[in-house]
Amino acid sequence: MKILVKLGDLFGAERLIPIESAHISGVSYKTIGDAVEFLEALAEAGAKSKVRSTMNPAGIDYSNLEEMVRLPELHERQMRIIEIYKGMGITPILTCTPYYIRKPRENAHLAWAESSTVIYANSVLHSWTNREGGPSALAAALIGKTPNYGVHNPENRQANILVKVEADLRDYADFGALGIHVGKILRDETPCFEGLPGSEETCLKHLGAALASSGMTSLFYPCVSCPKSSDHLEKISVDPDDLKEAFESLSTTNESPDMIYFGCPHCSFEELRQIALKIRGRRVKDDVKLWVCTSRHVRRRAEDYVRVIEAAGGKVISDTCAVVTWLKEIGIDVLMTNSAKTAYYAPTMNKVETVFRSLDQCIEAACKE
Amino acid sequence: MKIELRGRPITSGLTVGKALVSKNPLSFLGGVDPKTGRVIEKNHDLNGQFLADRILCFPHGHGSTVGSYILYLLVKRGVGPKAIVNETADPVVVIGAVIAEIPMVDKIDISKIRTGDLIEVDGEKGVVKILRRV
Repeated sequence: MKILVKLGDLFGAERLIPIESAHISGVSYKTIGDAVEFLEALAEAGAKSKVRSTMNPAGIDYSNLEEMVRLPELHERQMRIIEIYKGMGITPILTCTPYYIRKPRENAHLAWAESSTVIYANSVLHSWTNREGGPSALAAALIGKTPNYGVHNPENRQANILVKVEADLRDYADFGALGIHVGKILRDETPCFEGLPGSEETCLKHLGAALASSGMTSLFYPCVSCPKSSDHLEKISVDPDDLKEAFESLSTTNESPDMIYFGCPHCSFEELRQIALKIRGRRVKDDVKLWVCTSRHVRRRAEDYVRVIEAAGGKVISDTCAVVTWLKEIGIDVLMTNSAKTAYYAPTMNKVETVFRSLDQCIEAACKE
Repeated sequence: MKIELRGRPITSGLTVGKALVSKNPLSFLGGVDPKTGRVIEKNHDLNGQFLADRILCFPHGHGSTVGSYILYLLVKRGVGPKAIVNETADPVVVIGAVIAEIPMVDKIDISKIRTGDLIEVDGEKGVVKILRRV
C-alpha cells in the first residue's frame, strides 16, 4: 500500500482506481535471486490477490526437465517463488503473453508489469496500464487498485512524436531492430510510427518489446499512414542505414550458435505455425539446440505445429524463456535468435554471445542441409 | 562553494556521498551485476564502474520492470547506491528506491553534477547540494 500511495502522490494521482487484472514480473529465481525475502514477508502477512492475476515466466519448465539446468537447489528455490505467488492467489500462468490466453477489455484499467506486456496491452489491445515495476503490480493485485496517473488518463495517451520509418521492414527481426533504435532515442514520449508495412499483431509485439527494452516507452501508435493531426508533432526519421546499424548492434559474434531461440516474447499461434511450416520435413543439427518458447495455452492450441517442430528435433518449452533461465549452465555460449529483446539482454543477463538474424536465417542455421 | 539544485522529493532520507554521474538511461536488470554492483550494460558510460557507496545520478530508467527488485537486492547486499538522483523518475526505479529504503530525488539537471563531486541528497525536501567539486 505504501508503494502505491507513493506512486500516486508522485505522479499526481487523485485516487486509486479499480483494475480488471494484474500481471506480475519478478518470478524467475535467476532474475530476482534473494529478493524473494521481500515476497516471503508479504506472504507471511497473509496478502491475497483481489483480482485476476498472472505471472511472468519462471526459470524452469518443470515438464521439460531434461532441457533445464540440473541443480536441485535452483529447482527448489524457483518452486518456492511460484508457491509464494500462488499462495497470494496469483494464477500460475507463467508467460509474458497472458493476452493470448485472455484479452483484457478495451479501455480496461490494468496493473501490468513486464515491459513487453505493458506496451502490447496499451498499443495493440487498447487497454490502459502504466509500466508498473514488479513490486507495484503485485501491490496493485493485492488491493485490486492502482493509482490513477500516467496512461490511465486520456490526456497522457496522445502521440507526441512522429517516427517516420523510411527503411524496409521485412520480418519480425526488422521490427525488433527498429524498436531498439527508437527506444534509445525517446525519453517518455509517446511515438506514432508512420510507414510501417502493416500492423500484424506479432510484428507489433516484436516492435513493442524492443522499444520497451532500450527505452521506457509504454505506449505507441502504429500507422501505415498517420492522420493529418500528427503534422504538428516533433519528427524523427529512421533510414535504412539506421536500421542496419541497429540490426548489426544486436550481434556480438559471427560464431556458429549452440542454440537457436524463438519465443521472446512467448510465441503466438502464428509464429508457431510459421516455424512449423518452415521446418517441416527438415532435421535440427545434432550439435545444436532449437528452443521455441510459448505459453502452455498456445502450445495446446497449436499442438499439431508443436508435433512438427518436435519431430524435426526442436523443443517447444513453456513456463520459462531463454533470458530468464540458466543458459550458461546448460552449455550455451552462443545464442542465435530473431528476438531483438533477447539479443539486447542476453549478453549481460546470460553472459552468452548473440547472433541476431531473421526467422528464415535462424531456421537455416538450425537445420541440416 | 555550495550549489543547491531543487527537484522533487521522491523517497525520504538524507545522505552525503560521492556522485557517480551518467548521461545514459539505465536498466538495473541486465545493466548491473546484482552480486557486485558493477555496471555491465553495453556501451554505457558507466560500464565497469561500481555503484557501492555512490550517489547514482542518471537521466531515467529503461527496460525491465524487474529492475525494482534488483535495486532492492543491490542495496541489501551492500553493493548498491546510497541514493538516486534522476532527471525523470519512472515507476520501476521509484519502487526500487521505496523498497530498498534509499533517498531519491528527481527533476534535477544532472549535467550540473560531476562524477566525484561530494553531494548531499535530501529526499524529504527534494534538494541536492554540491558540497565539494572534484
